[in-house]
Parts: sequence; C-alpha cells; structure tokens
Amino acid sequence: MTRKTVLGILVPILVILHFFLHVGLRIERAAPDLLTLALLFAARENGMGPGGALGFFFGLLEDAFSVLAFGASALAMTLVGILGARTRDLFVGDSLRFFFVYFLAGKLLREVIYWVVAGETVREPFLNAVLIDGGIAAFYVASMGALLVLLLGGARALR
Amino acid sequence: MASYTDPPEEGRGRRDLTVALVFLFLAAVALYLPSGVQSQIAEGLRGTVLRPFVETQEALVQAKLRAEDALELQAQLDSLASIVASQASLLEENRRLREHLDLENRAPGVFIHANVMRPGTTGSGSMFLLDVGSDQGVNPGDPVLMRTGRIGLVGVIREVSREGAIGLDWSHPDFRASAMTADGEVFGLVEPRRGDFRGGDRLLLNAIPFHERLDPGTLVTTSGLGGIFPRGIPIGEVMGLHQDYGDYRSEYWLRPVVETGSATHVLVVRSDPALEDLLEFLEGGGEGGPPGGGQGEGGRGG
Repeated sequence: MTRKTVLGILVPILVILHFFLHVGLRIERAAPDLLTLALLFAARENGMGPGGALGFFFGLLEDAFSVLAFGASALAMTLVGILGARTRDLFVGDSLRFFFVYFLAGKLLREVIYWVVAGETVREPFLNAVLIDGGIAAFYVASMGALLVLLLGGARALR
Repeated sequence: MASYTDPPEEGRGRRDLTVALVFLFLAAVALYLPSGVQSQIAEGLRGTVLRPFVETQEALVQAKLRAEDALELQAQLDSLASIVASQASLLEENRRLREHLDLENRAPGVFIHANVMRPGTTGSGSMFLLDVGSDQGVNPGDPVLMRTGRIGLVGVIREVSREGAIGLDWSHPDFRASAMTADGEVFGLVEPRRGDFRGGDRLLLNAIPFHERLDPGTLVTTSGLGGIFPRGIPIGEVMGLHQDYGDYRSEYWLRPVVETGSATHVLVVRSDPALEDLLEFLEGGGEGGPPGGGQGEGGRGG
C-alpha cells in the first residue's frame, strides 16, 4: 500500500474515533486529541491548500460544540494545517524523534492559537491552559502519533 | 535563464498558497460572524455530520437511565408520595394566607424532563446539549435544575432549536443568580469563580451585608429576584468566608449542590402562558389552585 493510501484510510478513522470518544462517549482529556493528530498527518502529506482546507473543516466540526468561542478552533486548526504542510518543505525528518517533536509542536501550537483567539471569558490562565494542560495534551498526542507511526511501519514509511 | 523550481511545482505552490489563504480568511470570518449565523452553522453540523456521535451519547444516557435500580426508584417514589400526602393541606392554607395578606398569585411553571449531552471537545466547557427544544416549549432563559440527593440549579438555556437546546451551566463566567439564605433572611448575588484548572470552578456568594455572618453549611437558594430563576432552588452551601470589603460587604465561598459535570438528566422550568390563563380562569370562578396533569408544577417568581 502506498503512503497516500495508508493516510487516506488512517485520517478518516482518526477523525471518527476522535468524535466517538469525545462526543459519543463523553471522554474529555482522558482521550487524546486525534483530530489534531489526523490533521498533522494529512497536512504533512498534502500541500498548504489541502492542509488549510482540512484544518478549517476539522476546526468547524469542533466549533459546532463551542457556543462561547465559535471559530476559534477553525482558525487554530487552519493555521496548524498550513504550517504543518510547510514543515515538509522545511524539514526532511525521517526519524521517530522528528515525528514526535512534530506532533508535540503541532498540538502545542494549536493550544496557543486557540488560547489567543478564544477570548478572555472562555480561556483559563495561560500557565494552566497552555503550558500545563496543553503540554500534557501535546505529549499525549505526540505519544499516540509516534505509536501510530511505529505501527504503520516506522518513520520511513511516512517520510 | 533556468528557474530554480519546476514550473508546474511553482504553479502548484502558488495555488496551494492561494487556497490556504482563502481558508485562513474564511476561518477569520467564522470567528466574527453574528452569533445567530454561528448558531445556525453549528446546529447544521450537529444535525448532520456530527449527528451519529450525538446520538451515541443520547443512547448511552438512555441506557444509563434504564439501568437505574428499580428498587431505588420505588423508594424515591414512595418518599415523594409521602411528602405530597403530608403537605396536601398546605396548598389550601397557602391560598388562604395569600388572600389574607393580599399577595398576588404565583405564576406556575412547568417542569420538562430532558437528557443532557456533554461533548468533551475543546471549547465545549460550561455548555451542555439537551434533547428537548422549542417543540416541547423550551425557551432561551429557562432555568435548568437537577436532582442529586436534593434538587439544585444547573444553569440556564441559551439557544433553542426545534428538537434541541443548548444550555450554559453555573461555571460559565457570565452566570449570575440572585440568591438568599434558605431562611430568606440574607440576600446576595451568586457568581462563578474559575479554578486554577478545569473542574476547579467554584461559586461565590457576593454582596452580603457586612453585619450578616453566615455559618458554614448554610443553604443558599435562588431568591426569585430578577425573574429568571424561580425562588427557592438550592444553589449551594456556604463553605466559609472569602473576603471582607471594608465595613459594608463580604463574600463567601459556596459548595455547589449540583456538580455540573455529573448531570445526565435534568428538568427545564418554563412558564406556561396557557396554564397561567387557565389558572386565572379557574381562580376567577372560585376554584383555586393550580391544575394537575402529566407534568409537574412548580412555583415561579417570588
């Protein structure tokens, strides 16, 4: 199977699993942010255009449950999608460590942008929301991402 | 002169950049859309692509309710029946007293039971979805209650569609409720305070006159002032003094009666104009007292 086919199957599965865990089963932080992970996988494979488009639609799906900061996820995910796609041109990573850092930075960036955009009434203090909660969530996403990369045949398969 | 980039690649890169910028612009527009349009988009997404996930949670909530111990439910029913039986004469006494004191009649409210869905996605904190909407008579601003041992205030309805509603719980920064101690002696205003982390949110009883002292464990309920929340709904219990402000007011921490994260089944209180008219008609004919029916009734206003 080609890399495109693998990601073509993996990304929708991650999106469905994300909403099944977070919305269907009502699991909050105990379940990883598979939506951002799916976006980071897809963005690196495709260009900035598809990355941004996918980020926008993924973000809107999350915003459908956000009365107080509608659009914040869409903007954050669009930017992450665009920047994620750019990494393919800037970094030719082929190690598991690279993918781990890529997922970690991607998720953390999403948290930072969301925190900035969401507005004062919604957000918690930066230290707690981004550095502690966001850091843990980013580590969780990066671990899951690295595990998936390993399961899919190692980093070279997704290079 | 040869280009450093392959022309088709260059063209693709430009197209990609244009598409990316278009979606970035759309995302920025989404952020500043009027709230009505935002609600429509959100509702559309929840009703289509996200519907299977919402239905999954609905099904789980229903299954959890069905799994309730029948013996426990029977015990609760017996307790309620005994309370109703022991207080049967109170309605009549109350009516007579109100007549003697020349008090206005209370407008009745109707309780609508609903299941609560809570998405665990980013930005969905402080909000919950209900499986009842305008078809069932729910309106924005209706208070939402829940029983966990004792009945307590969960929050208020914010948006309503035909078959669903969105509510905000007491942890939302804009939540305010006019409150009083259960004995009706001390009045104040309840507002939330963010905890250091999610789940650490607390309630603060504000604007308490300086000379009034509240003991830990004192029950605080809604006062009915302001016309949003019915009088007498428990909000929380006093935990202790937070701060004194000079010689004129003090603030107390409250332990909420209802932990909003645990809510699965709630009651929406709505005033029913038809019922109010009927009551007025009946009382005009000398047949006082709110009519009975399939739905429960509760006092509204103070």
